[in-house]
Amino acid sequence: MSRSPSRTSLAVVGTATALALLTACGGSGDDDSAATGTDGKPVSITFWGWAKGSKEVVDAFNASHKNIKVVYEEIPSGNAGGYAKISNAVKAGNAPDLVSIEYPQLPEYVSQGALQDIGQYFTEDIRKKLLPQAVELTTLGGKNWAVPFDASPQSFYYRKDLFEKYGVEVPKTWDEFRKAAEKVKKADKKARIGTFFPDDPTTFQAMAWQAGAQWYKPEGDTWKVSTADAATNKVADYWQGLLDDDLIRANASFSPEWTNSLKNGGTVGYLGAAWGAGVLKGTLPEQSGKWAVAPMPSWDGKPASGMLGGSTFAVTKTSKKAKAAVEFATWMSTTEDGIKARIESGTSSAFPAASALRPVAKKAFDAGFYGGEDIYQVFEGAATSIGPNWNWGPTTGTTNTTMKDQFGKVASGGTTIKDAVKAGHDATVAELKKRGLKVEDAG
Amino acid sequence: MKRARTTRAAAILLGPFFVLFTVAMLLPIGYAVWLSLFTEKQSGLGFGGTETVFSGLDNYTAALGDRAFREGFGVLLGYCLFYIPLLLIGALALALLLDSALARARRFFQLALFLPHAVPGIIAALIWVYLYTPQLSPVVSAMESGGIGFDFFSPEGALPSIVNIALWEWLGYNMVIFYAALQAIDRSVLEAATVDGAGAWRVALSIKVPLIRASVVMVALFTVIGSLQLFTEPLILNKGTGSAVTSTWTPNMYAYTAAFERNDYGLAAAASILLALTAALLSFVVTRFTGRKGKKA
Repeated sequence: MSRSPSRTSLAVVGTATALALLTACGGSGDDDSAATGTDGKPVSITFWGWAKGSKEVVDAFNASHKNIKVVYEEIPSGNAGGYAKISNAVKAGNAPDLVSIEYPQLPEYVSQGALQDIGQYFTEDIRKKLLPQAVELTTLGGKNWAVPFDASPQSFYYRKDLFEKYGVEVPKTWDEFRKAAEKVKKADKKARIGTFFPDDPTTFQAMAWQAGAQWYKPEGDTWKVSTADAATNKVADYWQGLLDDDLIRANASFSPEWTNSLKNGGTVGYLGAAWGAGVLKGTLPEQSGKWAVAPMPSWDGKPASGMLGGSTFAVTKTSKKAKAAVEFATWMSTTEDGIKARIESGTSSAFPAASALRPVAKKAFDAGFYGGEDIYQVFEGAATSIGPNWNWGPTTGTTNTTMKDQFGKVASGGTTIKDAVKAGHDATVAELKKRGLKVEDAG
Repeated sequence: MKRARTTRAAAILLGPFFVLFTVAMLLPIGYAVWLSLFTEKQSGLGFGGTETVFSGLDNYTAALGDRAFREGFGVLLGYCLFYIPLLLIGALALALLLDSALARARRFFQLALFLPHAVPGIIAALIWVYLYTPQLSPVVSAMESGGIGFDFFSPEGALPSIVNIALWEWLGYNMVIFYAALQAIDRSVLEAATVDGAGAWRVALSIKVPLIRASVVMVALFTVIGSLQLFTEPLILNKGTGSAVTSTWTPNMYAYTAAFERNDYGLAAAASILLALTAALLSFVVTRFTGRKGKKA
């Protein structure tokens, strides 16, 4: 018995030594010289994302850079579990250095303290290369939180061959869109012009944005939340009407059901964003040459657009390699090589936030799927028409989950779009209050 | 000396269990309890980071006060009332069939019925979501051509859809448990009954079933507790359809959504603990109740 205490103390000493060694090793990677990396001893950063072409971009970066080595891990797209994974990793303290976050979700992560201010590295001369609206959406509370990658103006994808066959004109206004929807249904009673995505409130929000709504408005240190304005109501009523009259489908976005209806001609249009061009092309290779892109229909016929999704790159709070991470992010967003590598992967149709690089993207994108149409020209027009007044609030997680749950009941008649928006509104106000923030509930 | 050696042997053999039990059970539970007592506050527009403040039982009252959370328990109740009788009766009937002389090719059926259980729950859910998808699924089109129109993805159709997946996964497994118990029955009892003139039905219902009551109770208990954890199948249905179930359909999903979609870890921890307490209470009641009844018999 007398021997066991000494054994125990030995074990304790041993463990303590091991821990000390471990922390010492961990510490050596964190000093300043390692943060930049040198040719001989590159600094290694980890990057989580899901955007198309990310792997190719990382490979190209690693091939051309000696000082930084990027380790890429593909995660599910944000909505499909990627955000849960990121939140979890941040909470657990083992987050990667750099993560992909879309514009709507960025404020939520910033408010959770999950990210770090990168203003020091993401400087004015880089910022001015990028679309001002995109920079605006990543500047919160006067600080820069992410490097914008793409602008994602909305656009309308449609089956050119079927539109011609059915004698349907490409709609320029929402009134015309409804008429076109009726015509499509009349020509083929199984076909519909588009889809209401019950799982994706951001599409609806982009359309409210397009109509001029402003859901979250920072006024001093108070959030003014307003979702019952004329613009939102107009959009809600319009889509409710399309659903009630069975002029559009209600399927989850990118679900097997939706994809199948695109494959068999049951759905002949898609209200998406610039990045959707690559997704369609990848999903429906057999329909190459049959699709075309048009600007989003608008209320008054003048170009107008919201932004649907769109990626930014943010550095997590715990990363000690912010400088290297921002250097890599900037390379992806603002250099010719970075854009080219992504688009040439063949799967991405990203529309760079860096306006000078759009010709590069255009040249790299094989538009054969769209019959050689100059789709980047369409995006260009849409991008300049993105409404400048929209902000995302710090509770998009709560807002969107609540709206998603309610949208799910709309198609079966359990609720209406307007009530679903109202539910999202109430949950948002309650959540802001719960966090101790000042809210003005503007209805 | 001998005694000391036994103690040491016991300590060494039990050690790994208690270490793992502490690391994988007690510590996480303690951490969850601790998390549930705090909430994150922000200031200004909310972009200045968070401050963790002690909030007592606020998270518990918030969870209990949330209709979505309470409705989750209603869903579980409906699910149990629907699923458990079907499972028990189905598994019992199959086991009795296999046990009786009626069944040919016992081994084949045993294996065939058990096989679905070898498919992980998440894969099973994905397969079934495909089989439920209109225009894509052979099952749905067969039903339609037979004049049966059923929308598996509607809010009303969600419960049957999920019960069906669960039955597919668990029927064979529980059947095997019942079958093993039936095999353990002393054959002389059954022979005596036959000699006394009892038919196959009578033997099954009056002798076999009462004799394997302990297994039936055990399966029922495990199933109730398993049902409280209902998560994977509805989550897949939620992600895949967006319309069948909400993201807070069961209490487990509520906790998941609170943590990972709404970033409210305190609320998620409180909801999880409330669910765990419910499960503990329920198992206590069920074991107590059935235990006493067993003694009387």
